This record gives sequence, C-alpha cells and structure tokens, in this order.
Amino acid sequence: MQVTTARESWLAPMDREAFRDGVRAMLPMAVAISVWGVVTGVAMVNSGMTVPVALLMTFTVFAGSAQLAVLPLLAVGAPLPVVWLTALVVNLRFVIFAASSRRSFVGLPLRQRVLAGYVNGDLGFALFSRRFADDPDRGSPVQWGYFYGGALVNWVTWQAASVVGIVLGGFAPESWGLELAAYLALTAVVVPMMARFPAVAGVATAVVLSVVTVRLPLRLGLIASVIGGVVVALAVETAGSAGERWNPIRRRSQRRSACSDDVRSTGGGHGETA
Amino acid sequence: MGPFHDWVYMVAAIGGLTAVTVLTRASFFLLPAGVELPERVERALRYAPACALAAIIAPGVLTRQGEVAIGWGNHQMWALLAAALVFARTRSMLAMMTVGMGLFTVLRLTVG
Repeated sequence: MQVTTARESWLAPMDREAFRDGVRAMLPMAVAISVWGVVTGVAMVNSGMTVPVALLMTFTVFAGSAQLAVLPLLAVGAPLPVVWLTALVVNLRFVIFAASSRRSFVGLPLRQRVLAGYVNGDLGFALFSRRFADDPDRGSPVQWGYFYGGALVNWVTWQAASVVGIVLGGFAPESWGLELAAYLALTAVVVPMMARFPAVAGVATAVVLSVVTVRLPLRLGLIASVIGGVVVALAVETAGSAGERWNPIRRRSQRRSACSDDVRSTGGGHGETA
Repeated sequence: MGPFHDWVYMVAAIGGLTAVTVLTRASFFLLPAGVELPERVERALRYAPACALAAIIAPGVLTRQGEVAIGWGNHQMWALLAAALVFARTRSMLAMMTVGMGLFTVLRLTVG
C-alpha cells in the first residue's frame, strides 16, 4: 500500500521526527537565506526587470546564484543560448551534489527524483551529506524526511525573502548602487570555493581573462574565461599532486580529506541557498 | 523598452533557466545507476562554477563601459574586496553585506 501512495505522490515517504529534525537543522540558516533572497529580489527589479517577470523567475528558476549571474546578460538581451550556458556552468556544482547523494534517491519513482533534485540546493545538500555521511541506508523515510524538512524551510524562506526584495527593489534609488549587493552575494559563493590553491589560480585567471575580453561580442569572453580558468586550475592541481607522487599512500589520504573539505566548503557555511 | 519588457524573450529565458536548474540538480538522480562521473570530469566541474562566477563579477565591478576601471576611484572594487575578506573570516552573509554596502556608501558620500 505504501508503494502505491509513493508512486502517486511527488514526495517520498518520510519519517515525521526526521522531518522535524530537518526543519530544525535548516532554521538557523534562515538569516543567510533571507539576505540572499532579498538581494536577489532587489537585484532583479533594480536591473529593470518587471515585477511579474521577476516573480515568475523566482518561483520557477529557484537558483539564486544562476539568477544573479544571468541578470547582466538578460539586461543587454544576450542570445538565449549564452544565457542558458552561463547558468549551466554556474550550476555545475549541483551535478557533483547529485552524484554524491544519489544513492539515497535513485530508488524513488521518477517524479519524486525530479522534485527532490529540483529543491536540492547548496545548504540542503550540505546538511544532508553531513548528517548521513556514514549512514549505510540507500534511501529511507528518515533520510527523505530530513531532506524535505530542510528543503521546505529553505524554499519558504527563500521565496518569501525574494518577494520582499522584489517589492522593495522598486523603491530603492539607483544612487544606492544596489547592483553591488548582487556582486557581493555572488562573491559569497566564490569565496568558500577558493579553499585550495588550484581554485585560487583558476579564479584569478578567470578574473584577468574576463576583464581583458570585456569587449568581445556575445559574452564570448565569459566562455573563454571559464575555459581558461578551469585549464589553469587543473594544471596547477596536476603540478601540485605530481610533486607528492613519491608517496602514493600519503597522497591518497590527503586527497580524500581534501574532497570532504570541498563538500563542506562548497555546500556549507556560505549564504547560497536556492 | 529593453529586453526585460520583451515577454517572449523573458519567458523563453526563464523556461530554459528552470530546465537548467532541474537538469543539473536532478542530473544523477535521473541517470541509470551504472553511469558514474569520471574523476577528470568531476575535477573540472569543481572549478567551473567558481571561474564562471568570477568572470561575471570581475567585469561588472572592474570595468565601466568596456574600459578597465581599476583604481582608487572605484568604490565598488574596494567595497567588494573588504566584503570578501569579511566573508572569508566570518562566513556571515549579514556581516559581509553590512561591511560591503556600508563601505561603498561611505566612500560614495565622502569621496564622491
């Protein structure tokens, strides 16, 4: 019987106590989520987007950093493939999140997997992977309950704050320079990603390339900067690990701890929410 | 009447962006169990978002009308650097916004 309900529902079966745990775990993040949401809402309206379009974007796209990243592109009417590609690259971190938490979700019916994926933002992923890192269960009502509890708080806080920002954004004079707030919010996503040197080198390369190529049409400079930054980061990483090759055991254990650091730094701590 | 008022453009853009959200976040929830992320690809994926975001932020803050504008007079640049340092230390969104926007406003009102 539970199988039938699970198949018809968009939500996987959940344990109530775990759901409450998930809510409680996400609640302390509400301040950071709200700041992000308000900034994103203000930025959308401030850049010239109409209120109905901004509301539509908030309630469908539900990805703060991608929304902020494409605003300058939409403002100049950039070709849609460039807009989508930019959001795709910014969102690539979610592919890693999905890959590392998939075993808890792959057994679910299709629509439940789609919805769970859709709401699997940075903070929810960070909490979930921290809580169940050592859990042998390949998906359980406890895991799903905890996941949905956190996702619900994240979604409600994010959307409420975004709507507040969209309403407030219309009142803020241009001289306040609120577009800076959008860049600050994006910086809050980048900073924790720069925990290791290859990432710092990649980001520095991307900064230089993007400024140098700012006049290229169709934001080709953006794509060139990403490719250049990734190539440099990978080269620096390879050069770094080649220097440690004399001791493979030590290298492997270092790499494992570096990976778990990455999960913490890309997922946790920073303000990115949706 | 900019692109933001072009309904067809905006609705198409938002539709595609929503698809991007679902496709990236649900990606490995939808792929067959045997499909794994090759280590090399994962390494590249790990650096791409930071590079893309940096390549969005930098021209926005460091250039004006297609010209490089790095200097004492670029209040946004100093505010962003200060805010980034605060965030690196505190990991507090509220603190970074307060410092960044506060410094920008002070510079704007005093230095001009």
